[in-house]
Amino acid sequence: MGMGGGNHGGTMSEINVTPMIDVLLVLLIIFMVIVPVVPKGLSTLIPQPPKNPDEAQPNDRTIVVQVLANGAGEPSYKINEDSFAKSAIEPKLAEIFATRQEKVMFVKGDASLDFQKVAEVIDFGHQADVDNIGLITPQVEAGH
Amino acid sequence: MTATTAQAGNDRTGQTIMGINKREEGKKINSNINVTPMVDVMLVLLIIFMVITPMIGDKVHVDLPVAAAALSMENANKEDAVTVAVTRDGRTYLGQDRVNTGDLGAKVAARLENKTDKEVFLRADQRANYGKVMDAVDQIRTAGVSQLGLLTEKREQ
Repeated sequence: MGMGGGNHGGTMSEINVTPMIDVLLVLLIIFMVIVPVVPKGLSTLIPQPPKNPDEAQPNDRTIVVQVLANGAGEPSYKINEDSFAKSAIEPKLAEIFATRQEKVMFVKGDASLDFQKVAEVIDFGHQADVDNIGLITPQVEAGH
Repeated sequence: MTATTAQAGNDRTGQTIMGINKREEGKKINSNINVTPMVDVMLVLLIIFMVITPMIGDKVHVDLPVAAAALSMENANKEDAVTVAVTRDGRTYLGQDRVNTGDLGAKVAARLENKTDKEVFLRADQRANYGKVMDAVDQIRTAGVSQLGLLTEKREQ
């Protein structure tokens, strides 16, 4: 019941900090919710068709990583024409590009794959410090 | 008789220092619910949702792939960022609007018309069909875009 108080005759001179703490906790929660929403991503390039198709020179140093679908199973991976296990791709790419100036590679995936499988390869490329990763799409391949 | 009742009252209220001893023991109990804390909490929830809603509402729900080497892309959160989303069932969205894959190129080109940096962000579901993703990329390519940011989740190491 507590109605029989009145014992404190003097004025209470302490500041009541409880509402301030309430407000600060709420602000903390709001900022905790907002901060993780910084978007992360992998930058890629889409090769544009050459202005003059005749000037396009074939480059035998081009690195193309292929992701080949195997039905429902795990996809298989190829760097240019050589097959590699998934775990071997990143070290191999790092080895190839360690001595190169132009860090350019291309990623080509089968249309029936999940996007995650291709995103993993792009991720391997970025881990191997390849700055420019081009996506080869059907239109790029057709040269349009 | 009156003196003993007053004495009993004083005993029950404990020590009376400043002589405030006129408390009525039979005073009615305050039976109103105190709504002030509830209103406080409700207002706070209101503010939280007001802050969060515009950040969540303008995005198509997709399950982004996970990548270890993902870099932060501040520009993707800007108001004028051009974001294309490909969902798990293969539908393509430009911003929040569903578009046919065939029209995507022209619409992206229209949005990029007055911008100097031709950068487009692609939010593709990790289980989206890569063929559909490539179709969207092809369409973006026809808009003259060469910088494409694939938005992912960052894998914590």
